[in-house]
Amino acid sequence: MSSIQEDDDLVFRKICSLIEPLNDKGVKLTRETDLIADLEIDSVAVLDVVMDIEDNYDISIPVNTISEIKTIGELVDAIHAIKKEQT
Amino acid sequence: MSLFDKFKPTATMYYALRDEIGRDPFGVSMDEMKGPTRALVDGKEIVLAGTNNYLGLTYEESAVAATIKAVEQSGTGTTGSRFANGTYAAHRQLEIDLAAYLGYKHCIVFSTGYQANLGAISALAQAPDDVILIDADSHACIYDGCQLSGAETIRFRHNDPESLEKRLQRLGENVKGKLVCFEGMYSMFGDTAPVKELVEVAHKYGAYALLDEAHSFGVFGENGRGICEHDEVLDQVDFYTGTFSKSLASIGGFVASNHDELEYLRFSSRPYMFTASPSPANIAAASAALKKISSDQSMRVQLWENAKRVHAAFTQLGFDLCAPCSPVIAVRMKSRDQAFKAWNFLMDNGVYVNLAIPPGTPNATSILRLSVSSAHTTEDLDIVINAYGALAEKLSGELKDD
Ligand SMILES: Cc1ncc(COP(=O)(O)O)c(C=O)c1O
Repeated sequence: MSSIQEDDDLVFRKICSLIEPLNDKGVKLTRETDLIADLEIDSVAVLDVVMDIEDNYDISIPVNTISEIKTIGELVDAIHAIKKEQT
Repeated sequence: MSLFDKFKPTATMYYALRDEIGRDPFGVSMDEMKGPTRALVDGKEIVLAGTNNYLGLTYEESAVAATIKAVEQSGTGTTGSRFANGTYAAHRQLEIDLAAYLGYKHCIVFSTGYQANLGAISALAQAPDDVILIDADSHACIYDGCQLSGAETIRFRHNDPESLEKRLQRLGENVKGKLVCFEGMYSMFGDTAPVKELVEVAHKYGAYALLDEAHSFGVFGENGRGICEHDEVLDQVDFYTGTFSKSLASIGGFVASNHDELEYLRFSSRPYMFTASPSPANIAAASAALKKISSDQSMRVQLWENAKRVHAAFTQLGFDLCAPCSPVIAVRMKSRDQAFKAWNFLMDNGVYVNLAIPPGTPNATSILRLSVSSAHTTEDLDIVINAYGALAEKLSGELKDD
């Protein structure tokens, strides 16, 4: 449990570091932050952030999955699920 | 909560910019066409430098004559789909002619290029067994084809065979069919794909390669067959898709292939089966244009001469260009604001180009997309280059910080 918590945090932090350059309004990033509604990142830019995440973790995140993701927390969860499956 | 709330942020931004410049870049009406490269807009004659009329065939005499004859003989519309009553002898003949021109065994004509990609991708790949891998900068119809298919879709980095390879390697054992989709020349930046490498990587992992040559058909390759002809891998492309709406100056689309199984699409591809076929006029115009480009290379030669002239002039003016020389010459702007104003400035100076802003543009850039036509005269291009020259000054002065 604690190791998952730890890892969880690392993925969360990694995602935040990739999103921060697009966070023009300086919104505080939490698991609940909505990528499009809160950060006003357009849907294509979200896909590009995901591409960086894919290369970072050496996983493939299908477009089908991304289109269902709204918040940073959901993205973190999806990455964990895919990491488990693909590695 | 209304259905319309979600449009508000985009609408507010767009209308504000539109009102500021006093013109709507996404609602220009060509009030009267004056030939392949000119139109009257708000009473003023404008040079059209934002079209897809690469070979300038919209007024090609043989095509106009064939179109009039076809309407007189076969009527104004087919009133049915290819699958039902909408296949005439001319549709079949055009499939044969396209296959022969490209050197494939089979070809299927669709109602538009959008539907050709939609129809091929959605029929070929199916959930849950198949996976589609697409270039990240793919055209909307490739993305939409994936959605309609429902199959798992994975993007690879734009024009990056290594990125494709990594994603193919990661696929699980359970995947049955793999379809890799990419384009020849990309419509927004005018950059071209490493088609040979992408096809090789796809085949190395047992995937099929689908190549959309919408913008490169008639433009690249020794005989105008596209980037795959230039790269000498035409016979290795599994599915070659294209459109009639650019170099062929009509409306319609097609998929060509050496796989005999291509014919299966005729009873399994929804965008083939459930929409009306191209009208006799569309087919006649495309057929005549195809004849013209098969027998006359001069348009392509002129197109490239024009492209080189404009690309060199813009380079000298110091513009931030998106790609090496091709018939699409896109200038990168600093911001959406600046792009709107620059676009308007060009209109004031008698030149229409395409404005492209995010979302929907690669890397969220705002660009002015210019496309060259072989029909552009020296005078047309003088007007274009002069307008951009004046724009360059404006950008280093008044519009610098927009
Ligand atoms: C790459 C690409 N594919 C397909 C199409 C669709 O072509 P059509 O206008 O025939 O629907 C376009 C044009 O918009 C395109 O740019």
